[in-house]
Amino acid sequence: MSEQTLPLPASEEDGRAFGGTLRRDLLVSAAVLLLSVAGILFTQQLKMWFGARVTPITAMTFAGLASLWLFSMAGVAIGHAMKRFPVKAIAEFPVLGWVSLTSLVACLAVPGFVEAIAAVDFLSITTPVLAFAGISVADRLVDLSKTSWRVAITAVFVFVGTYVGSALLAQFGLSVTG
Amino acid sequence: MSTAAAPPAEAGRRRLDFVLLVAFAWAIVAVSELIGFRTVPIGSITISILPLVWAVILGMVFGIPAWRKGILKRIYSPANVHFSGKYLILIMLPLMARYGADVAPKLGEILSIGWVFLLQELGNLGTVLLGLPVALALGLKRAAIGSTLGLGREGELAYISEKYGLQSDEGRGVLSIYLIGTLFGAIFFSAFAPVLLAFGFDVRALAMASGMGSASMMTAASSTLVATVPDQADTIRSFAAASQLLSSFLGTYTMVFLAVPLQRAMYNAWQRLTTRRGQGATR
Repeated sequence: MSEQTLPLPASEEDGRAFGGTLRRDLLVSAAVLLLSVAGILFTQQLKMWFGARVTPITAMTFAGLASLWLFSMAGVAIGHAMKRFPVKAIAEFPVLGWVSLTSLVACLAVPGFVEAIAAVDFLSITTPVLAFAGISVADRLVDLSKTSWRVAITAVFVFVGTYVGSALLAQFGLSVTG
Repeated sequence: MSTAAAPPAEAGRRRLDFVLLVAFAWAIVAVSELIGFRTVPIGSITISILPLVWAVILGMVFGIPAWRKGILKRIYSPANVHFSGKYLILIMLPLMARYGADVAPKLGEILSIGWVFLLQELGNLGTVLLGLPVALALGLKRAAIGSTLGLGREGELAYISEKYGLQSDEGRGVLSIYLIGTLFGAIFFSAFAPVLLAFGFDVRALAMASGMGSASMMTAASSTLVATVPDQADTIRSFAAASQLLSSFLGTYTMVFLAVPLQRAMYNAWQRLTTRRGQGATR
């Protein structure tokens, strides 16, 4: 492989980040997901200790965490199976999307899942994820110096462009709908 | 790299490093939660900062290579940083499962205005419409193509690398935007989303716009909206998550069939404009 000025990191949407056998993927997923839901529980407990406004931890919370773990595992398995699907958009659909869809379908079928998952405080899910996200990009800070200031300014307009663009169209749509 | 062939002492060291990583990540979470939710008034606009923003900043700041001495060097070991990147997608999955549960009770409402969700997907062309003129005016040439095709996530990366190669100017452009988005995207959108609220946008429109194709940016934008308008928490989260799912399905098509032709037309128009002006002007 030739050298790249900015090598590619494995990242959140990169479905190819783990592409071993199904058995291995499931084993690794089971362990990492256990770590992930443990982190959520820890964060929710911290929020309670620190007196933040938070959903209290009950037996339902544990049922919710178990559901989140289960749907994540199911999503990994489905994503794996779909890789051989002949339609490209489905074969390359990210595992993150499969997990959301699995959970959506399960929650539509069994409303009890919604109740259980609602007992898991939402923001407690986000903090540990973003902590790992921060650590994972640490090595890339050096690459910033290789990025031109022109692209950095452009980036701001690119970000604003997509967000404001979608917001304007959505605002228009909603005003038509009433 | 053969992890299996590592000698026992090396394997033990790695295991300890890994334990340190998890302990450190949880310590970051603890500090972030201790700082907690803060609001910063800037003029008439109030910016809310959630613990998730503290967490991503702390995770990055401690990893600044020059500071990696002693225990930080063990925590930010190559194996650990690699683990965080490789398995971040797995660590995120429970969050995505939670979004499924948020969408479920609101699915009827979402489908009833499904066309608005489809329409706002076209807003992603804003990267070209707003970004490309700025990039060209700043003097970027072929790099402007890579850096404004989209948010620079996996779809754009794959397209640009296939078409131009990552060594090209276009490739460097898309890699740079990818890097900036990865580092600062979540922080940027958590600050920017509530600013638009102050401009009078419907919070539901902003929630839909949050589903841009990056899960962490969507989470940052929509969570800050929830913090600002807590009564609408369920609607905001479900709309953002549904829009995100739609982006995952349609993003590639919007890019290939709309963003690429639009960008080519705008780029060519700019080329004609500048060459004509260039011929007339004396330098």
